[in-house]
Formats: sequence, structure tokens, C-alpha cells
Amino acid sequence: MNNMLNISSSPHTRDKWSTNFIMRAVLVALLPATVVGVINYGLHALLVVLLSVASAVLSEFAFDKLCHKPDTWKDGSAAVTGLLLALCLSPRVPLPLPVLGSMFAILVAKCCFGGLGKNFINPALAGRCFLLISFGSAMSSYAVVDGVTTATPVATLLAGGSVDVTKMFLGTTTGVIGSSALALLVGGLFLWAMDIIHGQICFSVLGMFTLVIGLFGGQGFKPEYLLAHISGGGVVMAAFFMATDYVTSPATPLGQMVYGMLIGLLGGIFRLFSGTADSFSYCVITGNLFVPLIDHYIISKPFAYRRSAKRGRDAGPGAPFYKRIPRPVIVLTAIALIAGLALSGVYAMTKQTIDDQKRAAQAASYLVVCPEADHFDTDEALDKAIAGLNGAVYGTDFGRVTINEAFVAKDAEGNTVGHAISVTTGDGFDGNVTLAVGLNAEGAVNGIAFTELHETPGMGMRVDEDEFKGQFSGKSVSRFTLNKAGGSTEDDQIDTVSGASTTSGAVVNAVNAALDFYNNTVKGGA
Amino acid sequence: MVKDTFRGGVHPAGHKELSRDVPLREFLPTGEMIFPLSQHIGKPAKPIVKKGDEVLVGQRIAEADGFVSAHVISSCSGKVKAIEKRRVLTGALADCIVIDNDGQFTPIQDFTRREDTSKLTGDELIQRVQDAAIVGLGGAGFPTHVKLKPKNPDAIRFVIANGAECEPYLTCNDQLMRTQAAAIVEGLELVLRLFPKAEGVIAIERNKPEAIAAMDKAASGKAKIRVLAMKTKYPQGGERSLIQAIAGEDFPISMLPADVGCIVDNVGTLYAIQRACAYGEPLYAHTLTLTGEAAANPGNWIVRDGTLFSELLEHAGGVKSGVTLKKALIGGPMMGIALGSLDVPIQKQNNGLTLLDEDPNEIAEAKMTACLRCGRCATVCPMGLLPQPMAEAAIAGDYERFEQRLYGLECIQCGSCTYVCPAKRPLMQTFKQAKSEIQARKRAEAGGKK
Repeated sequence: MNNMLNISSSPHTRDKWSTNFIMRAVLVALLPATVVGVINYGLHALLVVLLSVASAVLSEFAFDKLCHKPDTWKDGSAAVTGLLLALCLSPRVPLPLPVLGSMFAILVAKCCFGGLGKNFINPALAGRCFLLISFGSAMSSYAVVDGVTTATPVATLLAGGSVDVTKMFLGTTTGVIGSSALALLVGGLFLWAMDIIHGQICFSVLGMFTLVIGLFGGQGFKPEYLLAHISGGGVVMAAFFMATDYVTSPATPLGQMVYGMLIGLLGGIFRLFSGTADSFSYCVITGNLFVPLIDHYIISKPFAYRRSAKRGRDAGPGAPFYKRIPRPVIVLTAIALIAGLALSGVYAMTKQTIDDQKRAAQAASYLVVCPEADHFDTDEALDKAIAGLNGAVYGTDFGRVTINEAFVAKDAEGNTVGHAISVTTGDGFDGNVTLAVGLNAEGAVNGIAFTELHETPGMGMRVDEDEFKGQFSGKSVSRFTLNKAGGSTEDDQIDTVSGASTTSGAVVNAVNAALDFYNNTVKGGA
Repeated sequence: MVKDTFRGGVHPAGHKELSRDVPLREFLPTGEMIFPLSQHIGKPAKPIVKKGDEVLVGQRIAEADGFVSAHVISSCSGKVKAIEKRRVLTGALADCIVIDNDGQFTPIQDFTRREDTSKLTGDELIQRVQDAAIVGLGGAGFPTHVKLKPKNPDAIRFVIANGAECEPYLTCNDQLMRTQAAAIVEGLELVLRLFPKAEGVIAIERNKPEAIAAMDKAASGKAKIRVLAMKTKYPQGGERSLIQAIAGEDFPISMLPADVGCIVDNVGTLYAIQRACAYGEPLYAHTLTLTGEAAANPGNWIVRDGTLFSELLEHAGGVKSGVTLKKALIGGPMMGIALGSLDVPIQKQNNGLTLLDEDPNEIAEAKMTACLRCGRCATVCPMGLLPQPMAEAAIAGDYERFEQRLYGLECIQCGSCTYVCPAKRPLMQTFKQAKSEIQARKRAEAGGKK
């Protein structure tokens, strides 16, 4: 016999599954959402997807070559990252964004930390957050469906409006490319059935999120309400595709449950109290950061050292039922209850104060913009008009503006001396801008006052200075226009705050919306 | 609370169809026969013959050294040619008795005459087992007489006849159960005599319906014995997996099955016990499956200890024409030892020779990627270990974490984690190294203290 036989340690056989197989399965699972996204949003969405995937794979290829690493670009994980990122982008993003995002995801979040298996946060989400921070307005300018710009369903939900859950399921609404909750769910459940993703993670994310929304959403456990929250804002995407990323989730089933619940809890809190629709990306990333800690402390013991086994050996079989309930279940239930109670306590204690403060600020701002007023009265026609808007975006050419409330200003004798209208625009550089617009009895602008403004200090924040604000005062026009050149002479021209044209434009649009509302309801209606 | 399986486990391709229906045939070798002095767990035996001595089939040629050891029995008649170092299946040189086989196979006594076993006492029975040099034929080769003498025989609740044969490719236990069901049941009854409070459970994976039927028939009417059809899953035939399923017990590596009230014996071992007690025949031949994609004629054989694998293969038709033999495994692919050369003797506990035309490890190595942390290894580990963090700790050289926090020494080296790993990482191999490193350090420390 020859001596050329191969020698190596057992086992001498391997399962068919490979890294590549798993990555391909994830790609297949994302296919329904991709196809639905492209059908709903058209060619541009397809371009975003293709560019994102291609630049992710190319980035990894380039890194492999430049750093003389093995060819990891072939394993499919870069393609998964690229596709996940694309599905989390607005179908209207400018085309350089998916390329930049994928490059950041692969080169910075993944390769710089050691490549596949070593990254500490989900690369796709890192790419998305990078884009959100760098290109806020382009990232949050969402798709037009049926030719109408509307707020995202989550924004509408948070503003107290009602949404069409069926549309959210099908993805025929404003949102990211992968916004069809149904298509994502199909893919996610496929991966779960294949045993590729851990049920402990996705179902604890969904469970905890639903619990928080149900408890603190203000509408109880109403199925349509809960379903609307779950179907929007990337919850399904996060639960089934982002949180379940192997590399950035814990190693033990118990750890995975804790991690999932943490993400669900944060998701619920961020959703209800932060007011941004993109919060789930941050929740998953926060969860990712806890993984090393979870894995350090939660290590499951081998069967032989677990309590049940020891008890079985010590006391023999037939221990009472309650002692057989696994300890993790008891611990987790306790944690969930304590967290829930603490949260509801803090919420209950602070809600009144927060509301009072908001109302006081609002009331004060009305007095600022209607200085002749003694008090403000509600008006049936105005209230009806606002109720009719149902929290949706006002008009078609003011950007994402909503009308909050409107009052009639009365002097001490009860004569009408003007109107105060509160408007919020979502087009600020950093979150919402809310302002009060005051008009005198003739319909000329008295002035404007901000009640919510988080713009960049020294730039966007300067809209709150009289140099900008004062330009509106005493003008009687039906519409203002932004003059980027400066040095305006016309009544209807407003000089932009230099270096803050986004904020300036948003404010002008908001004021115009208020004027339009005023003209339609007070003047036109009267 | 008897279940049909344990937690975890994997489903490797069975490949049993290659040989499952080929009846057992006896192979009588003609060449020289080599008997290693250590074919069992424990101390090597001491030779009691010298060069030039005439020996007969069934004759003791080496004496057990101490209680945890086993005799060596000649399986042929002939003349002792040498007592010297020969290459054995581990690839190492080991002390062996080499016998020039005269091809007559003259037995030392008549092994066909049946004796009355009903009057055997427990001690006599254990003595017979010891004299017959019976070791566990499941693979480990632990001396059976030691296993039959636990501290407290009354605490034994189950005597498990292991007919699971979960290792892919192997089918010789299947054939043995089909043809020798009554003798196996008798062997089990003999063992049960030692443990008055125990129940006999014959555990067989469901992929062997003929064996289950045969054993069912043989066990019918026996009050204390039942046949249990088990789920087809690897490592179902592992001692600890069977105890987990049947007795519901998980126990650390520091404890023996007897400590949780169980004795597990392979069906081949029980057959040998029956032969030893009823016919006075020591263990010198056993069943073996010669199989694999590279084998010309896969089949099941009754082989004599000391036969060279190469001689058996030649007799069985050799390597399939047009196929290159890449790897030869003693046992099956999950736990088998890869042979460097086939010119080594068959030992008692060898139950298979699997010939592969490709090396799956070579293929896997080429496909290896970084660990994805997918956790599949943890879901299949029958011991409930966490192979992925264990591998991290072992590679980082953090043996303290490996042993203390992750219980790395509890690994039974079944290879399930390596089998399922999509990144094709050699997990179990890493653990094997870490374990031997830790044990070496412990030995060094213990030595230092003296």
C-alpha cells in the first residue's frame, strides 16, 4: 500500500452549509422587499439598489487587494450589507449617497475592524447613520406616491393622525425602498424557518416594542394601532434583518433574548418620545454596543451544570413543577416588569409638567406675535379646518408643514385684533421647527416666534434673531419668497440667513403655509 | 420520562445503503498477525509468551496489568515470531506480539459446546468477562469487567444495550442485531443479573427497522427488557446522549454513567459477554464494516484481531477501480481516525474501515472563512457547550476562560460543531489541542508539587 493517505483529525465530513450559502439565503429573503420597492418607487429605486450593492462589493474587493487580504468579497456578506443599506434609503436619494454609504459601511465599519465577523456594529446601519448625519435633508426626503408628497406613516402616527395599515404592509406609501412590511416579513419568516436567524432575537424585539407601544402609546393595545407602529419605521427590517446579524448579536440564547428586548425597549421609547422616524437604526446600533457586555456576563453553562441537571442528580426526578420553570424566564419577566413600571412611573410623573411647559411656551409665543391681544379664543371654523387636516402635511408646496392650532386674538373688550397660528415644519436641518405666526386684524404679519428650534448654533439658530425674524413683521402679502442674494427691497422678499438656507427656507415655507391657511379659512371662509 | 433522543446533534449523510444489507462474512487471514499490548483504555498488558512459543486460537498471550487493563488473546494458531515495536493505527510504534499464523486456526478448546449459565454467580460472571478480555466494542475500548463493577450495583436503574450505530457508513452492528438478536438479549440478561433494580433498554436508531424487528422479537416476553427506537441523529450512540434520552440525566465529565445509575454496553460487547459465558469463548474476533465510496465491495465482516487492514481490504476486493483512495478511516467519518498506512493491525474496538475517494477536510479548509458567530455550533452541541466562545478563548490561549468559564473540558469530541460550521472552522480540533495542553499543564503542576 502507499503511504500517501491524508491524515487529519475527525470529523471527516461537513455539512453543506457554507458562509456563502447563508449570505445567499439572506439575499433571497430580501428579494421580495427589493422587488416590491422597485415596483412601487420605480427605476430610481432600482438604481439605488444596484449602486449600493455594487459599491459595497467593490469596496471590499478593493480593500482585499490593497491590503493583500484573502478574497473575502466573494463570500456574499458585502452584497448583503449593500442591499440592506439600499433598502433603508429613501427611493429619492441622490445617487452618490448609496455609494458613499456602502463605502463607509464596508471600509470603515467592517474592514477597518477586521472584516467579516469582527465588526462591532452592523455595517449597513453604520452606513445609514453616517448618511443620516451627513445628509439629513436628502435622506429624509421620502418618496412621492401617486404624485403627492406626504409625511411618512410614522410621522403621521406620531402627530396623532391615522394611517392605512394595508398600504404600509404593501409598501405603497411614503418611506424607504424596503418599506413593505409584508415583503420583509415573508423574507424574515423564511430565514427563521430555515433556522438561519435566531427567533429569540426577532421575536423579543417585536414583543418588547409592542409592549412599550401598547403601554405608553396612549391608545392601549388596539390591534390596528400596534400593527401600524410595527409596520412602519423599519421595525420589521430591524427585527428580522438588522438585529439578527450574527456578528453583532450575542452568542447565547438568553443573551439574544436580553439583546432583543433591549432593542425593542429602546425602539419603543425612541419611537414614542424622540419624534424621529429613523430611530430604529440607532436602537439596533445601541444594542450592538451592548453585545460584548452581554456575552461577557451571560454564558450558558453546559447541560450537566445547569440547575435542573444538578437538582435532578441531587434530589432525583419529580421536583415540583414551579422549580422546573427555567430561571432565565423568571429573571427576564422580572426585568421586563421592573423596566416597564419604572418607565411608566417616570412618564406619568413628567408628562403633566412637560405638557404644561409646552403649553406655556406656546401661549407666551402667541402673546409675542399678537402684542395687542388680551386673550385668545378658539374658533369653530378654525378648529374644524385643523381637524379636517388630520395631522397630514399641509398643502403641496410648503414642504413638510403641519398646522398645529390656531386662535383668534381678542382685546380686553372682546374685539378681534388678529389671529395666532402655530405651524411645524419637518424640513429643518435638525428635527422639527415649530413657530407661531401672528397676524393683525387686516391680515398683515405681526411677527413670528419660535417655540421649537434645534438648528445649528451660529447658523440655523440665527433665524431666531430679529435680523431675520423681523423681516416678516408688518408685511401684508399672501406669500413670501426667499432671496438668497440678500439686500431685499420688496415686501414679499426675505433675506436668507447666510449659511443656513435650509432652515431659512423651511421657516419661509412654514410662514407661507400659515398665511395660506389663514387666507383660506379666515378670509376665504368669512 | 424516556425520550427518543437527546438535545442538539446533527444529521450527517448516512451512506449506510452501501453495506447495510450485505450479510456478515468471516475473514480468515493468512499473513502474520500483530497483537498490540495496549488495545484498551488502561495499562498495557504484559506478555506471557516468548518468541518461538506455539499458540492456539483463544489462548491468552498477554496478561492484564492491574484491574483497569485487559488481557490479549491470540486469534490464530501458530508460532510467536517476535515481541517488538510495530506500527499501530495511531501511526506510532507500540509494543506488539507478532505471531506467524499457520492458517489452521486450531482452537485451544471447543468453543461450540454450550454451557449452563444459570448457575453463574455475579462474581463468576465478571471473572468470565475479564478472562475473555472483553473491552467496550463501541470504540473506546474500556475494559468491560471494570464497568460491570460499580460501587453500588443496587443504584443502577438502566442497563442500556447500545445498538444506535449513529456513525455514518457503519452497518456491522445492524447486521449483528439482525442475525444474533437472541444472543445479544441473552448477554443483556446476564448483565442484568448483576443489577437487580435495573431495566434493560435496547436502543436502536429508527434507520434500522430490520434490527429493531429482530430485537423486538428476541426480547418479547422478557419482563425487564424493552427495545427503544431512537431518532436517527448523531451522536445518538454516544454514551451520554443515550443516558440523556433514556434516564434524563446530564452529568459532568468527572462522573461516570454508573454515578447516575446507568451502564451502557455496545450490542457487540453484549454478544461477546454471551459468547464468553455460554461458550467460554474469549473475545478475539468481532464485526467490522468495510465501506466507503472508494471500496470496491462494501460489506460487513467478522474479522480476527491482529489481521492487517491491508490484507482484509485485498480480500474484500480492494479499492474500486478508477478511484483514488484519498483517506482511510478507522470507524466512520465523524469520529474515525485517519490512517496513514493500511499496514496496521485491526484492534478489538475497531468497527469500521471507511475508504474515501476525497478528503472532506481538505475541501473544507479551502472554503474556510472567518467565524460569523452564527451560533449553529452551540445549537448542535450535545453537551450544551458554547463552541464559538470556546474556540475564541482557545485560540487566544486563554485556557482559564476556556476551562473555568466555558467548561471546555466537558467536550466529548463528537465533532458536531465542526460538522455544522458554515465557516468550515476546525472547532473540535482546536478544543482537542486546548484540552491536551490544559491536561499537560495540570500534569506538570502535579509533578512540580511532588
